[in-house]
Amino acid sequence: MAPDEAGAGAGPGRRSGAHQVLLALYALFVLAAGARAAVQLATDAGRAPVAYALSAVAAVTYAAGWVAIRRASVGRTGFASVMLWVELAGVVTVGTLSLLERDWFPDASVWSDYGVGYGFVPAVLPIAGLLWLRAQRRPS
Amino acid sequence: MHDLTHTALGQLTLVAIGYAGLVALAALGVTIARLERPPLLDNAVWILELLMAVRVVAGIGTMLKGDRPDELAAHVGYLVASVCVLPIAMQSVADDRGSWSSAVVAVAALAVTVVAVRLQMTL
Repeated sequence: MAPDEAGAGAGPGRRSGAHQVLLALYALFVLAAGARAAVQLATDAGRAPVAYALSAVAAVTYAAGWVAIRRASVGRTGFASVMLWVELAGVVTVGTLSLLERDWFPDASVWSDYGVGYGFVPAVLPIAGLLWLRAQRRPS
Repeated sequence: MHDLTHTALGQLTLVAIGYAGLVALAALGVTIARLERPPLLDNAVWILELLMAVRVVAGIGTMLKGDRPDELAAHVGYLVASVCVLPIAMQSVADDRGSWSSAVVAVAALAVTVVAVRLQMTL
């Protein structure tokens, strides 16, 4: 089998690259965070309203992140450079608050304890995205 | 988590978890080797999808017999996710056989592994 060449056999908007993995992870987290928030808010919203609302916010952030990465993969990096920092700030803020103010989080949100419930992927994802974005911007 | 070897459904879940993990590892290996995605990997993914579909049917059958899971809404969510993730992932890389497409398959297979574990945890 021939070694892979980036972009081989794909159209201009769908070229092969690391962004495909980021897009897959973001889509997965839209599903995971969205479904989690929807179930929790629909079945027992009063138990941990802050945590459940933050999970919903995380789902929206991941959806925006997916759009941002997709745009950045075709050269439009402006939205991604904002969204990935917003996401990282969200993870750090919520993660820190969940450690300092346990009472606010009777149940975990997606970003609680920096995403420990998801193997810390929520904390790693925006950092990976920012590194990819930096590589995208570097002149070839 | 319920004992996986105690029931037929648990055994099926155990097989699904193991097989999904193997598919994820194989896909990761192809990515690291920077090879084109082999058709064999696609076949392995569709076998996993078939396995998950069987797991879903068995799970629904168990529920219809009156054995309701402890967390019904979450369990149904995981049932749906267990059969949706792989086709969506495969569709997203349908016209791309580059090595990064195998990484997408690895992510999807790993997600199915986690979903299968969560399916058992929410029983």
